[in-house]
Amino acid sequence: MIAIAQRSFGVLALVALVIATATFAALLTRRVPPWLPDAALPTATAIAAVATGGSLLLSEVAGYLPCTLCWYQRIAMYPLVLILGVAAARGDRQVWRVAVPLSAIGSAIAIWHIAIERNPALGGACDPAAPCSIIWVREFGFLTLPTMALIGFVAIAGLTLAARDR
Amino acid sequence: MSNTPTRKARAKADRQAREEQRQAQQRRQRLLLAAGGAVVLLLAVGVGVLSAGESADRQDIPTVEEVAGDPTIEGEGFPPAPEDPGDDPVVGEPAPVVQGADFDGTEVTIGEPGQPQVVAFMASWCPACDEELPQVVDWVEAGGLPEGVELVSVATNHDRSRPNWPPQDWYAEAGFDEPILVDDDASSVAGAFGLTATPFWVAIDADGQAVGRITGMIGADQMTALAEAAAG
Repeated sequence: MIAIAQRSFGVLALVALVIATATFAALLTRRVPPWLPDAALPTATAIAAVATGGSLLLSEVAGYLPCTLCWYQRIAMYPLVLILGVAAARGDRQVWRVAVPLSAIGSAIAIWHIAIERNPALGGACDPAAPCSIIWVREFGFLTLPTMALIGFVAIAGLTLAARDR
Repeated sequence: MSNTPTRKARAKADRQAREEQRQAQQRRQRLLLAAGGAVVLLLAVGVGVLSAGESADRQDIPTVEEVAGDPTIEGEGFPPAPEDPGDDPVVGEPAPVVQGADFDGTEVTIGEPGQPQVVAFMASWCPACDEELPQVVDWVEAGGLPEGVELVSVATNHDRSRPNWPPQDWYAEAGFDEPILVDDDASSVAGAFGLTATPFWVAIDADGQAVGRITGMIGADQMTALAEAAAG
């Protein structure tokens, strides 16, 4: 059951990676398709909701104890579900002013967490309760939990910027 | 009086028609987006169901109770190790004496006077230990352990749900051939020596007194320094 959930989250992270790449490519080339601004906020909300649901499932059901850096990323991700959900419902295209800074903070923490996973010496010794260097999930050879979080944050930032671009 | 609508009314009707058209288009877009989202979600779950079938049969993996040892500890336990090894109040204090066994039941002793020891506390799931253990093996093979000093590892902080379980396989894969004392499921030996995190190193001299404790990865040079301190 947990293995299926992990693999499913891995596939969804790959989808989010494609969305993030395509969105930033559109933003950088100034070729945002006309349908994207309308689709961006509901998609960003879905990404934040899946990330939040996934993190809760893996900690509360699978028993993967979140480390300190996991908690910091949660602090950045969880509010985005409400913030983006309300913005999507109200058509608030200025929500990037909140979503982008939160995503940037979350991304920075996720990058540091990935660095510690790849080089445990950076994180020092292992806290027996919840070490940040432990790799609970590794889907498709590279999608660890902070990697998935990073993809989510980048996709959300790109989508909220695309929603502004109308 | 004419029945034809005024220009104003026509414009209003046009605006209404455009608004209705826009709303209908928005509804279509939302429906399309929701359908797309549902398809992506179903596909993801489908891929998960089809490709994640090789989940390990947990019945075959030993439990913590089966792996954990039953060591006895004599003497006063140490307080938690400080971050700075230079401020350690236990230096010069008698170390707890631990009688235990390795994974095969062979007796292993820590802290008994007469045998200088370097004790490496390791948790198989800990990525820092996973990186340090091969370095320890290399260090021993390169002759880094001084004559008369014994290196003992304590397998501790057992957790079946974490990677590299069971620990005996993990030690074997790394090629670690020195004595291993298996801690109990409450990590009592680790607690008695003041472990706060792994890897954790303790040096004990021939009088059974602690000469140093270090938390974290230390590398070959510090391993040698600890072992030489234990040798006196």
